[in-house]
Amino acid sequence: MGDDAAGPIVLDRLAGRLPDTVALIESVGDATHLLETWRDTDLTIVVDAVVSGGVPGTIHRIDGIQGFPAAWRSASTHLVGLAEAIDLGGAVGVLPEAMVVCGIEIDRVGPGVGLAPEIDAAVDNVVEIVVGLCADYA
Amino acid sequence: MTNAREISVEYLARVEGEGSMRVKVVDDQIEDVEFSIFEPPRFFEAFLRGRPHTDAPDITARICGICPIAYQMSSVHAMEDAFDVTVGGALRELRRLIYCGEWIESHVLHVYLLHAPDFLGYESGIHMAADHREVVERGLRMKKAGNDIVALLGGREIHPINVRVGGFYRVPTKKELEALVPELEWAKDAAIETIKWTSEFTFPEAELDFEYVSVCHPDEYPFNEGNIASSKGIDIPISQFNDFFTEEHVERSNALHSRVRGRGAYHVGPLARYAINFEKLTPLAQKCAAEAGLGPVVNNPFKSIIVRSVETLYAIEEALRIIDEYVEPAESWVRYIPKAAVGHGATEAPRGMLYHQYRLEEDGRIADAQITPPTAQNQLTIESDLRFVLEQHLDLPDPELSWVLEQSIRNYDPCISCATHFLDLTVERV
Repeated sequence: MGDDAAGPIVLDRLAGRLPDTVALIESVGDATHLLETWRDTDLTIVVDAVVSGGVPGTIHRIDGIQGFPAAWRSASTHLVGLAEAIDLGGAVGVLPEAMVVCGIEIDRVGPGVGLAPEIDAAVDNVVEIVVGLCADYA
Repeated sequence: MTNAREISVEYLARVEGEGSMRVKVVDDQIEDVEFSIFEPPRFFEAFLRGRPHTDAPDITARICGICPIAYQMSSVHAMEDAFDVTVGGALRELRRLIYCGEWIESHVLHVYLLHAPDFLGYESGIHMAADHREVVERGLRMKKAGNDIVALLGGREIHPINVRVGGFYRVPTKKELEALVPELEWAKDAAIETIKWTSEFTFPEAELDFEYVSVCHPDEYPFNEGNIASSKGIDIPISQFNDFFTEEHVERSNALHSRVRGRGAYHVGPLARYAINFEKLTPLAQKCAAEAGLGPVVNNPFKSIIVRSVETLYAIEEALRIIDEYVEPAESWVRYIPKAAVGHGATEAPRGMLYHQYRLEEDGRIADAQITPPTAQNQLTIESDLRFVLEQHLDLPDPELSWVLEQSIRNYDPCISCATHFLDLTVERV
């Protein structure tokens, strides 16, 4: 993978750095799976790569429940993605109390190219954001 | 003065992939009906050329996020046909089980979130959930029961990675499978409720003369194996697919259109499987179908939502049977020796028969591939249905007419991503 591996690499770098009350879950993004992971949680932090036309390496941090950017909504109807999962979760009442979405603006997605240096640095920054959020919430 | 109406839906919602619909009516005469697929061609058959045959299940699974098992199954069966490999016993049963998982998750997604909103007057499943929270929660939980089967047997829920030519990379323990049972038992009752729920919808009148085509096995409702049969007399080995069916390119669409040679449009999917294999459904599924008002053949495509629900019940019952009878096999796959040959596979994706053919080199590399997905096979029938629905509802105002036309496309649960196709690309440079 290229820069699109940013999310799973954040998970790898978080290993061992969070309290036992925090679960690290890799999701393929299917709404059913996302909703199951959100049910009965206090805080959910979603980390993913995004392409919204910004500078690669930029970290977009938003409140997932209060406002999901239109630019991040998929233009495709393939599967039911994160934005739709949040809408659906709101409708059926399984959203967490709070949700922070960290989007890492990416550039290169060619197979086997690895993370670009600016994405690598952004991944480290997101790791610290997640550690800080979990500490604040504990 | 000419009275012309044109209804265009540039981007069809609640279907997989990118497609559009356009109809034109002049002086109450239908001038043009088009269901078009504009999603770009994806060149999967070209990707496969020159690659090891063992790559085919994982590469073709990437064609579709909602029916990857179908692609894996049709590809491995085609390879095994070429190499004279027979996969039996528990490995064969596990293949049926993972297919059950895919049918459950795909059918439930379509019934609850994509198609039911058409019948209940909602723009989307999310809008429907606001008024029908418990119903949507039931659907999500049922879908998860299917996801869990695919995740266990496939290694992960989407784009599973555990299927190989000859069997699996790893087989589950009995204990792992038994952990699925309580949720499947719940899902069985939920599926019965789903059949009742969908049977109470209001259905447009439509009795159409389809040529139904599906895989047909003498002893079981079809997933993986059998002949190809039609309601108008075809009964052939899978290897004769191209002798009886043909594909052609139509300029407006990036999907090939399929026909029965010498006849025309045909219909694959739940209605076809049901009509050709009704007596192989479980007694409970047959009983629930009868209570929902269905006979052994259903010719109203709008009632496909009930048939999908009946098939969901069947898949859950079949999954429970397989888990109950499972004995872990000594080997996770059947060994074989590749050779130069041509192999054919046809299995039943949730939305209909999926045909694969591979020509293989002596070392097992793929020389050529043909993939014929269900939505491409249904494309002519979908256009024919649109024409029928248009004739029946010409008196409706445009918004209502557009609604019922889109609903009739969703009767087929079309997977446009799968259908997008391009056999060859020529670049002419001057």
